[in-house]
Order: sequence, then structure tokens, then C-alpha cells
Amino acid sequence: MAQSELVKKHRVRELLVALLPIAALAVLFGALCLVVNIKGYRLDMYLKIVFNEGVVLAIVATGAIFIYSLGSFDISLGASTLFSATIGVMVYNASGSLPLMILTIFGVAIGCSLLSSVLASVFHIPVFVTTVAMMSVLSAVAAQIITTNGGALGGIGIPATVVAPLDNVPFKLIALAAFALLCVFVFDFTKIGRRLKFLGSNAVCAKLSGIKVNVYAIIAFVMAGLGVGLGAFLTLVYTPSVTPTTAGSIGMNILVAIVFGGMPISGGSRSRIYAALVGGFSYILLNNILKIVIDSGAGYGISQIVSAVFFLAVVYVTSMNYRTKLLPR
Amino acid sequence: MKTLKKLFALLLTLAMVACLFVGCAGDTPATDNTPATNTPATDAPATESGTDDVEPIKIGVLVADVSGEEALAFRSYYENYIASNYNVTFSYTEQLEDAAAEKSAIEKFAAQGCQAILSFSSADRATQLDTCIANGLYYAVASGMLDDAQFETYKGSEYFVGQIGPSMDTEYEAGYAMGKYFADKGVKTVAMYGAFIPNPMHVYRAAGVLAGLGMTYGGASEKDAIVGQIFGDQGIDPSKVGANGVELIGYFQGFGDTTFDELFAMLGQGPDAFLSVGMATTFFTDALNGAGVEFSDIDSFTSANGEAMANGKLVYLAGKYSSSIGPIFAAVVNAVNGHPVRDAEGNALSISQDYLVATDADSFAQYSTTDQGDSPIFSKEVLDTVIGENVSYDDFAALVSADRS
Amino acid sequence: MIKRQSIGTKLIGTLAIPAAFAAILFGLCAAEGKTMFATPISVNYFVLYAAIVMITTMALSINLNSGRFDFSLGAMAVLSSVLSAKITYALLQGGSGSAVVMLLLGVVIGAVLGLLSGLLYVGLRIPPIITSLGVTLIYEGVTFTVTSGKYVNTEVRNASMSAFSGTWIWPALVILVVLALIWFIFDRTKFGYDYKALQNGQKVAVNTGIREVPNALVCYVICGALMGIVGFLSATRSSTINGGSLNFGSIGIMFTAFLPMFIGGYIGRFSNDKLGYLIAALCMSLLNSTFAVFSNQISASMQSIINALLLVIFLIYLSNEGLLKKLFQRKQSASCGER
Repeated sequence: MAQSELVKKHRVRELLVALLPIAALAVLFGALCLVVNIKGYRLDMYLKIVFNEGVVLAIVATGAIFIYSLGSFDISLGASTLFSATIGVMVYNASGSLPLMILTIFGVAIGCSLLSSVLASVFHIPVFVTTVAMMSVLSAVAAQIITTNGGALGGIGIPATVVAPLDNVPFKLIALAAFALLCVFVFDFTKIGRRLKFLGSNAVCAKLSGIKVNVYAIIAFVMAGLGVGLGAFLTLVYTPSVTPTTAGSIGMNILVAIVFGGMPISGGSRSRIYAALVGGFSYILLNNILKIVIDSGAGYGISQIVSAVFFLAVVYVTSMNYRTKLLPR
Repeated sequence: MKTLKKLFALLLTLAMVACLFVGCAGDTPATDNTPATNTPATDAPATESGTDDVEPIKIGVLVADVSGEEALAFRSYYENYIASNYNVTFSYTEQLEDAAAEKSAIEKFAAQGCQAILSFSSADRATQLDTCIANGLYYAVASGMLDDAQFETYKGSEYFVGQIGPSMDTEYEAGYAMGKYFADKGVKTVAMYGAFIPNPMHVYRAAGVLAGLGMTYGGASEKDAIVGQIFGDQGIDPSKVGANGVELIGYFQGFGDTTFDELFAMLGQGPDAFLSVGMATTFFTDALNGAGVEFSDIDSFTSANGEAMANGKLVYLAGKYSSSIGPIFAAVVNAVNGHPVRDAEGNALSISQDYLVATDADSFAQYSTTDQGDSPIFSKEVLDTVIGENVSYDDFAALVSADRS
Repeated sequence: MIKRQSIGTKLIGTLAIPAAFAAILFGLCAAEGKTMFATPISVNYFVLYAAIVMITTMALSINLNSGRFDFSLGAMAVLSSVLSAKITYALLQGGSGSAVVMLLLGVVIGAVLGLLSGLLYVGLRIPPIITSLGVTLIYEGVTFTVTSGKYVNTEVRNASMSAFSGTWIWPALVILVVLALIWFIFDRTKFGYDYKALQNGQKVAVNTGIREVPNALVCYVICGALMGIVGFLSATRSSTINGGSLNFGSIGIMFTAFLPMFIGGYIGRFSNDKLGYLIAALCMSLLNSTFAVFSNQISASMQSIINALLLVIFLIYLSNEGLLKKLFQRKQSASCGER
């Protein structure tokens, strides 16, 4: 009896801790509303801005969950986003066709992901090192294309009118929801997700159970590529141009967002698709709140420190469920 | 249970995101601060801060550089001198990395009730303008200029106040004058630093330097042909440089792991002069002073550069002064107050602003001391001559082109 | 039973990669009629860069070999150099001895920063990669706040600093001292033995009584001290420190150490991994000097691509070495059979 109560208590604690990132998102959402109102700013506009800032990060990070669930991580996704958008712009400018541009963006994004996965799984290179190399190559090639073709403008772009009709919240919300639901379906309702989590939890056991590691690694990278493609397209929808610095911060922010959302960096059975959504928007909300509150030039450094401390605090609490006696690695 | 928890979490997140959507569902692009609904901040803007009972003009400033000496001098002029002499407040962005950050910053300024945007950031000026127009904000370019095609597109927009700064032609001329200075001095060998080519500003300056030194590039001696080739090459290929009395013994650009190896390899050849189109005074002053090689740069009139000119080997500096951004502020004030300054065809201001050139400690001191904090070159008294109802395009052109030395 | 390597194998294994690097790169320069070390200053900068790469590689490998990923190395180097430069300038106003004082202060401040990072890791007990993300953001934020985002110039431009970078002897001395110290600490002390035990079997090592927390903390302190030296060397090399890096702008330095870390690890199989890091750093510095010679033909973008390709190719070889050997042996036995 006492034991079942203990188990119940433990489960309640687990549930509370698991829900903490969502609670943090709600608190941050409330805090933004509060500070915006106190400052007398337009809340409706601020909410739209936060959504626009967070949607690309949330989408790319949601796709990245598939890679992270394997216990690997990929920091080349920002560079892939830039590269896909760059090639998309080049194709549009050569063909004048929006559908072709969209297809190209998705094709290139998935192609880049496949290349990473082939290098990692077929040639047995550590995933992280592969993605470091991919990041260097993709950003260098994209920069070369942009600066060669951009001339005096310093960037390349498509006519704003081409994507302007799509630059609205309903379209982006539908895109986000559709992609999130697809990922939830694949991750939580098919054997792909279960096997990815199994591989992330214990790769040796998974292999011995007959799971083909390479096949599932490639599927994970393809799903991440889909996210990158959609993210690259929405980047162009928001601003129809690319410069060498476009999407530069996404690569590292994905890592922060996923952890902020309560997912362990080691992947495995505790991987959750919603972690990317929750973490992505939480991180953007937090940064916006800090920028409103600490509104001065000297404050850039201070707001980054506060943001980092908040991040560590949230991760500390959310990691309570999987803390080990040994130092984590 | 677990699946339910996941679904609940996902639905909650999507619901919160949907709240964002609902929150913005009713908003229209034009905000409370569209000019149509704006009450002019004041009809007599040249008033002392704190003595007004009218709301101050709120201006948002887009910056891509938050730490450079020149950027900090500009900021100090606006926030300290202008803000204390006019009924105006400035809000600055953090360092803007890309076009999305620029657009987002403008939207935030609109949400904060700003009436105008001054832009020192150039990732995507067309999108900046489109965003300002969509949000009913006046927009002015405070540094550099729009591409010709872009200017043609936007010059008729009522929200585009204009641009006052060095045009690409001016950048070319600045480089040309620097090259010619050394050619006239009789140097025989030079080394050159292309800064951050393919940054367009640096490309034009570098093309000017080559032409000023009497050199050809890929057989071309005309501005457009040289510029086009430099963009194509993503730098200057010394093998394409045709010497004419002065020899280019080395060229490098960028700042990375190989930069100092390249610099010292060049200095080892003993050039008569080292010509830079930007940033050399930040990166190489020590090395060039140590090597005893005379050098030049296009930068600003900072104390460190003054020291390098007085006691080091800096012999030529083309620079901006901190208050050079005064006239564009005046143009913005006029626009916000309902007296936009347009040309005869009703187009936005477009006036190129030249660099000042110092070639010795005395001329350097003259420019830097005449533009000090409380007595800038574009002081309140000077700016007041172009703020008001009856100010014409020509008044601005005359003010900007007047000899400020 | 472990097969002992002959001296010949050891020598060949240790020197094959640097010899190949040198032959190819000097050959390239000679073919184009160019000299890699045109002036004595080129040699100075070659040694200085090798020192930076070797020490960064050691700092990266200390934690990475134990499964602890640390993004904060670059942020530690920048913050320690900014603080040590400012304190040194406040004490000496750029006078004689500035370089030595800044170096010593850099080591101490770097060690303290490393200790703080380590304490956060063992205190919070969250994966080191995550704490390193937070630490990177915090250290970058502090650097930006201290410098107002500006370049630090005056504090690092003086005769003492110029004298340090004006000869290859000082950087070479730093290399030797660091190499000897790291070799001694990791290969000849109880801490080093414990470190290796923890590296190869964390659970078993802890169960045998090895104290993991102090060992990890010392690793972080050493990493910090090493990055303090890197910060100092970088400041002497470029005579400026960029105080304006935010949003993970400082992590780039870590990526330059991956290739030498893997090359060093490979060479270490034939001799010692620390010596391997030095040899790999010399290879990287040779490559860097070659890039400098061909800077007008090989753009910065192209250099990034070449570095990335070298990393991938080397790792493909490293990860499939056994497979390649098998293939090679199969071919040999097949050709013997035919005969």
C-alpha cells in the first residue's frame, strides 16, 4: 500500500516535471503580455512578431528531434536552411516558377540531410563531426553563390510579390501544425518513432534486436531535411532575400530550444516532438521579454547572461526525472 | 496515459500558438502610428528637450554594428547631442544579423509607437522599406545608399524620406583619391588590403584605389568594368592588375587565421605604402607602425587614428565625422511633422555625402576637434536651418555639400 | 595479447602524416614558384599558430575524450584574455613585462573560468554539452558587458606584446612547457591514471573508488588554463581582441581543433597522443601558411571547404581502417592464389 503510494507520488512528480517546460512557456507568454502592456506597446503586433521569429526555429527544431532522439545532434541545420533557400532563390530567378522553387528547396534540404546521414551511417563518421564539416561546406558554398550573384546589393532575392500573399499568420500556423502533426504521427504512432527511441536508448540492444541502424538514421535525417526545407521556404516567405548570414543562429538555437523544451540531449525514450515547439517559442519569448526589460546598448550582454541562467534553471528542473548517480556525459 | 500526455502537451502548445494568431487576427497592417492619424509632434521641432508638453518624436534606429568606433560615435551624437536638443527619443536595435532580424526590428518599433526608422543596416533595404510602408513608418537611410534600381522603385513612396550618405560613386571616388594621393607621392610599390570584399562598399573603394594608382584590372580602367570584375572574382586577383608606374606587390582581404601571415609576407617585400579600403586601423596599426610602412585607410576620426597619424605611420585617412548623420535626422523630423522634403518631381531626398580627408596630424585634429560632443559640425543651429515648413531639396543639398572643414 | 610495435613502425606511424603534409604543401609552393616562409616573421607566425592549435586541441580533447562536450572553450579564451589584458594594462600601462603578466593572469583567470564551468556541471548534474551552452552564453555576455562590445586594442598593443610575437622562441617555449606539463599530468600522475580509468569505464572506475567529481573538476580547470594561454597567444598574434561576440559567436575556435585532434589521436597510436597533437598542430600550421601563400587563389570560403573535406576524408579513413585493411589483405591473398 505504502509502496503503491510512493509509486503514485513518483508518477505525479514525473508528470509535474515533464509539464514544467509547458508551464514555463505559459509563464513566459504571460510575462510578455505583462511587460508589453506595462510599456504601452501594441500586444497584437508583438505576438505576431514573436510568432514570426519562432516559427522557423520551431519547425526546423521539430524535424531535428528525429536526429536528436538517436542521441546524435546536428549543428549544420542552420547552414542547410541557408543553402536550400539560396538554391531556391537561384532556381526561381532562372525559371520564374514558384512550385519549382519550393520543390527545389525541399529537394536540396533533404539532399543535404541525406548526404550527412550517408557520411555518418555508411562511412561510420561521428554524426556531430559530419555536421560540423557539412556546416562549413554549405555555408561557404552558399556565401560564394550569394556574394557572386548579389553584386552591389550584397544578397540575392526573389520579387517580394511572389511570396507576399503567404506572409501571414494563418498560412504559417497551418504549415507549423501540419508539420508538427506529421512528426507526431511518425514519431509516436509508427514503428519508426519507436525504433528511433530504442536506438537512442540503447543502440547495442536495438541492433541485436534486428533494427537496421542505417535505415533508421537515414529516415531521421530525411525528416530533419523536411523541417529544414519548410523552414527555408518560410524564411523566404518572411523576407524574400538571402544573405550569407541568413538563418545563421538557427543551428545552435535548435539545440537550446530542444533542451529548453524538456527533452534530454541523450535522446532515447524520453524524446518528445512537442519539446521543439515548446522550447523554440519559449526561447524566443524569453529573449523578447529581456530585450524589452533591459532596453539599452550595454544590456545586450546582460540580457544574454540572464537568458542563459534562466535556460540552465529550466533544464536543471526538467532533468530531475533522469538524473543519474554518475556524472552525466 | 503517456500518449494522452503527449497529445495534451502538443495541443496546448498549438493552442498557445493559436492564441498568438487570434491575438493578431484583428490587426491591420497600418497601425496607430500611420501618418494619417499622427498628430505632428510639434510644428516647431527645434525646441529644448523637457520643455515641451507634446509627445516626443520616437525614432527607431536599425544598426548592424553596435561596437565599431564610428557606430558608437554616431550613436552618441544622436542619443546625447540630438536627444538633448530636440524633443525626440531614439530606440536602438541590437546587432542585426540578417534581413529577418531587420524586418522583425521594424515591426517591433512599430509596436512600440515609433514614427520613423533610421537605418544603418543594409542586409535587405527593399524589405526594410516594404515593412515600413506596411506599418506606416517613415524610413530614411542614414548610412550608404540604395541601389539605383531600388531607389527608382521607392523614390515616390510617401514613407521614404530619403538617403544622405556616401553613394557607391562616392566610395569609388574616395578610393580613387587615396590611390592618386600615393601615385602623386611617387610610390613605386604598394600592398593593398581589400577589407571585407565582396561587401559592395569595399568593392567600389578598391576599384577606385586601383584606378587612382593608374592601374587597370583585367585590362579595364573604367569604374563599372573594374567593379564588375571584382564582384565576379570575389576579390582582387593581382595577376589581372596592369601596372602603370606603380606595382601592386601584394593583396589580401578578410580577417581570419591567415591574415597576419599574408600581411607579414607582404611587408617582407618592403612596399612603399600599404593602402586599405577599411578596418586596417583596427587590425594592423601596430604591425604597420612596427614595420615602418606608411599606410592609409577609410575609417573615422577616432582618437586611436589621431594617435596613429601623429606618432605612427598613418599618412592618409578618409573618414566620416560623427555628426555627418545630422541632416538625415532633420529630414526625418520634417517628414514626421508633415513637411516632407521632396525634389521637383516629388521624389525622396537623395544626396551623396563626401568623406573628409586628413593627411597630417593638423588636418586630422581640425576635423576631430570641430566635431566634438557639444559642438558638432551639424549643430542645432545648423540643423535648424533645414527644419521647418519652407525647406527645399536645394537647401538640404547645399547644407550637405557645404565645405565642413 | 597486445602486439608490440617495432621502432620502425612507430617512427613511420608517427612521421608519415607530417611528412606527407610537408611534401605535398612544400611541393605545391615549389611548383608555383612560391616560398612558404618568405621572411623570418612567417616562421614566427607559423610557430605561434601551431601553439594556438596544439593547446586548443589539447583543451578540446581532455573533456571530449571523456565524453564531455564543451562549447565554451572559445568563450573562455576570449573572456580570460579580455580580463587579463585589462588588469595587466591597469597595473603596467603597457610597460615592460606586460606580456608575461598577461600570460600568467590569463592562465589563472582561465583556470577560474574553467573551475566555474566545472562546478556548474558537477553541481547541476546535467549533461556537459548543455551546461557548456549556458556557460558559453554567460561568458560571452560578460565579455560583451566588460568591453561594451568593442575591440580591445590599447591594452594589447605595446612593446612587450610585440616582442613576444616578434620571435618564434617564446611560442616554442610555451609549446614545450605545455606539452611537458600535460604529458606529466595525464601520463605520470595518479590524477592522470584516474582520468584514463574514468575515460575507459566510468561506472567501473567509480565503483573501484575513483573520485569522479574532483577528477572532472581538475579537467575543467586544466582546460580553462589552457584556453587562457590560447586567449593570450591569439591576442599577441592579432594585437586585438574582439569583445563583441554574442549568440555563440565564439564557438568557431573549437571547430579548428577537430581535425588536429583526430590526426593527433591517430599518431598517438604509434607514440604519444600529446606528441600527436603537436605534430598535428604543426601540420595545420603548415596548411595555414600554404593558404596564406595562395590567398589570392584560395578564398576564405574555399579554405573552409578544404578544411572540412580533409576532416571528412581523414575520418572516413579512420573509421574504415579495418575494413580497408581487410580489403587490401583479401586482394593480396587473391593475387597470391592466382600465382
